[in-house]
Amino acid sequence: MKYGMVIDLTKCSRCHACVAACRVEHFLPLRVTWVKLIAYETEDAGVVDVSTFPVRCNQCKEAPCVDVCPTGATQQRPDGIVQIEAKKCIGCRYCVIACPYQNRTFLSKELDPGYFPGHPKTRFEEKGKKLYPHQRGTTMKCNFCMERIDYGTAHNLKPGIDRDATPACVNTCQARALTFGDLDDPRSNVSKLIRERKPLQLQRELGTDPSVYYIDGIIGGKDNKAPIESQTGSHIQHLSSVEARAKEIFPELKQGK
Amino acid sequence: MPERKVVYSTCKSCHGGCGVKVTVEDGVPVHIEGNPDTLTRGTMCSKGLSSIQHIDSPYRLKYPMKRVGAKKEGKWQRISWDEALDTIAAKVKESQEKYGKESISISQGTGRGYNRYIHRLARSLGTANVISPGYVCHSPRLGLYGLVTGYGRLYCDYHGWGGEFPKTQIMWAKQLEISSADSEMCNWFIQSLDHCKNLIIIDPRASAYATRATLWLQPRPGSDCALAMGMMNVIVNEGLWDKEFVENWTYGFEELKERINEWTPEKTEEVTWVPKEKIIAAARMFAIDTPGCIQVGSSLERQANCGHTLRAITCLMGMAGNIERPGSMVSWVLPETGLIEDFFLELPLTPEMQSKIIGIDKFKMGAARTCNPDTMVKAILDGKAPVHVWISIGGQQIVHMANTKEVVAAIEKMDFMVHVDLFMGPMAQASDMVLPSAHWLELDDVYDMHPRFFIAAHNKVVEPPGEAKSDAWIFNEIGKRTAPEHWFKDEKECLDYQVRKGMAGKMKWKDFSKNLVSGCWGKDQVYYKYKTDYWRKGGGFPTATGKFEFVSKRLAELGYDPLPVYREPGESPYRTPELYKEYPLIMSSGFRQPFYFLGQYRNIPWLRSFMEYPMAQMHPETAAKYGVADGDWIWIESPRGKIRQKCRTFPGILRGMLMATANWFYPEEGPEGYHGVFISNPNVLTSNDHLDPMYGSPDLTCLLCKVWKCTEDELQDNVFKTQEFGYVQRTVEK
Ligand code: SF4
Ligand code: SF4
Ligand code: SF4
Repeated sequence: MKYGMVIDLTKCSRCHACVAACRVEHFLPLRVTWVKLIAYETEDAGVVDVSTFPVRCNQCKEAPCVDVCPTGATQQRPDGIVQIEAKKCIGCRYCVIACPYQNRTFLSKELDPGYFPGHPKTRFEEKGKKLYPHQRGTTMKCNFCMERIDYGTAHNLKPGIDRDATPACVNTCQARALTFGDLDDPRSNVSKLIRERKPLQLQRELGTDPSVYYIDGIIGGKDNKAPIESQTGSHIQHLSSVEARAKEIFPELKQGK
Repeated sequence: MPERKVVYSTCKSCHGGCGVKVTVEDGVPVHIEGNPDTLTRGTMCSKGLSSIQHIDSPYRLKYPMKRVGAKKEGKWQRISWDEALDTIAAKVKESQEKYGKESISISQGTGRGYNRYIHRLARSLGTANVISPGYVCHSPRLGLYGLVTGYGRLYCDYHGWGGEFPKTQIMWAKQLEISSADSEMCNWFIQSLDHCKNLIIIDPRASAYATRATLWLQPRPGSDCALAMGMMNVIVNEGLWDKEFVENWTYGFEELKERINEWTPEKTEEVTWVPKEKIIAAARMFAIDTPGCIQVGSSLERQANCGHTLRAITCLMGMAGNIERPGSMVSWVLPETGLIEDFFLELPLTPEMQSKIIGIDKFKMGAARTCNPDTMVKAILDGKAPVHVWISIGGQQIVHMANTKEVVAAIEKMDFMVHVDLFMGPMAQASDMVLPSAHWLELDDVYDMHPRFFIAAHNKVVEPPGEAKSDAWIFNEIGKRTAPEHWFKDEKECLDYQVRKGMAGKMKWKDFSKNLVSGCWGKDQVYYKYKTDYWRKGGGFPTATGKFEFVSKRLAELGYDPLPVYREPGESPYRTPELYKEYPLIMSSGFRQPFYFLGQYRNIPWLRSFMEYPMAQMHPETAAKYGVADGDWIWIESPRGKIRQKCRTFPGILRGMLMATANWFYPEEGPEGYHGVFISNPNVLTSNDHLDPMYGSPDLTCLLCKVWKCTEDELQDNVFKTQEFGYVQRTVEK
């Protein structure tokens, strides 16, 4: 079991929803984000490329941040997730420097002035203190929504398939640019994508072996026939029964003709 | 033990429509995500998700207030709802008696579910001087689709319900992928790309998928009608039109052929700046690889030739037979609850009311049901407008209308103005009274923004702050005091009435709110309606000729050209070459961001963090030519004024143009400058003198400007120095 994520650069629309979902999910302090969007905009001999790299902790399989942590606060779980135990973190920030991807944030006072500085904390922030406390003076980063994964697996749900066991950013992405799952399971969606789409890992040459993969491509070139599921829209609750409704709208109409 | 519950609702942070699931603990929302069992399949955008921060903002308006100082002084005093509502009723009555019913004007921002309330109020008060932004967003499209096909609600069939997805998709001046405005469409659109052969992006600035699309055309802003004419020319000359459809179901093809004869690829290239090879390729794809659809964006409707642009684009759809076929442009079947707009349509717009509409003499399409706002501004300044009382909800006319200086001067002349909103803002500061409204998480209502295939329920998740009230409540209360015969005992009765047609006439609000959605999808959708008795016995379109009308007699009757015709923007290199020498850059303000919705959300810290300051995008070569660099604060000037935005160089933009960020005011700035509306807002630069003959739309997305770098001394406004509101990460000493 090794969790991983595949990000489709073809689809990401730079919409920022993943960033917002992560903030909500983890009650993040005002000036902290665990997901960043990196704009890639070039022009080469008249050919323009505009892309967006959503970047979060890669949960590196060979994680330098784990190696440098003097207290064992940063550890890698058996399922591959690199987690920080705030209680053990002494704020030395070795890991912040060791992470080649700048994916770690040291939570200073400046980054946490409250959502509306000069005003009392909001109700949501107050709730967050209990539901998802953050410790100033420690480091923080994306944890693949491990609390969702732990909740889900405890309830027999499948990460990457069932929403309650899947990272919040993956659930909210309208472009469906993010795919999550078990890299060790050859049948998982992530394994399939990696097999089929020649993925890229960020700065592979560093030997960190990230669990976040990027796939690239163009839009188009597909067949436009709709599979049966697309034709029914039946997963959705609605008030009218399809047949009765169609008859009412247009009595002469024969279904499917 | 804290008490937890889950509430399902519908988002309205843009036009809305995404299904929402909120977890509430002891009355406080602690989590928000998409509801997977809805059309949007559990996804939500950054705006909707940030609602959780929005509702807790300490800057929310909580009580009705009346102004006690001068306008822009920001001095307000809390009053009771009774005092507020009675004052409004008295002012309305007084004005009606003194100046006539047309002296009441009601304005709205973009459609946020309150459309039907404001229209019902206006009609029940006997006035049609409604100020709606429809004429620069969506109305021209509905009007022209309606004129040509007899039915205005024509949408791209991205769903695959008819067995086919669009094979060729054109995204014209629109970024549906970021769902800045049209949630559920975004979702379907992106899904349909998995089944798309050709994606064609038409946009001077690269949107997210531009460089991965099959084709990307970058027309000169304002030349889109010419591009559509050029594409039709290719289709005709190469014999690629849909013979069956054109022969049997259309009217006026020969005349149209003649009209587009002059639009050779060479001429089209000269006018639009799009290489002719791309024009030819796009036309061929659209005509050969059918079915196809065209999603237009409202930037096309913010131009003074928008009527004909939309008309040309509609003809292009018809020529390729991309009408009513699965995967093409299809008109929606209504949900069982019917058209929710019946709520106001049932009150007649009398000829008497219509005759008093400001601008109806000129703009026969755009000012037929609502007034032309720009004409109203001019009339107020000339002392000729009949309007004396202005009831305003949501919208920021000061921000979104052309020529800010004149708009402000006109609004300041109003005898009495009341503004309904969630926060203080430019329009509130110009008012005599402000009323606090509830956020969509704080109210029960019917979601109906795009009454096409579904309506949904907004279910109250939390209590609104202070005495803030829902739109339904506010309008019902004003209605009860001014035109009681058309309004309801209470909010609940008003909601019941709106869904009354459901469940064979038995539906109540409660039934609806539990079920969340009423709609027509999957096999509910009916295709090829014109081939059956759906619109007409024996088949045909619901137009005067029964055909898809390339030539419109109706337009001719109204005094317009019955065929599409290209006109240059009011200011352009070709129309005003002298001016172009002084203002050598073409400017557009069409750029939209996924985390802002028009003038909204610069005061929501999570969202403001994504774009602290407004960006003016230029190609690196263009910027270099005018001596400005990435990150510089620059002045942008037009004949109407000058603003400052931050320069951002971007290779994905047409050379020789500047794309400004629209609708920008600074909520953190003081009331004295209407919250900084003159600092960066592109409409300080736009003109309200050159309007579309059909719709009265001004050139908001095609004008001329020049740029130069600001000096440090010129950045003294508070917004460049303070840390107020904590929107932005910045050191205080700067
Ligand atoms: S939510 Fe999806 S499309 Fe939007 S920025 Fe994130 S990864 Fe990209
Ligand atoms: S991305 Fe950085 S923080 Fe995450 S595991 Fe790798 S080295 Fe550690
Ligand atoms: S796209 Fe619109 S409806 Fe959907 S979550 Fe965002 S603001 Fe809400």
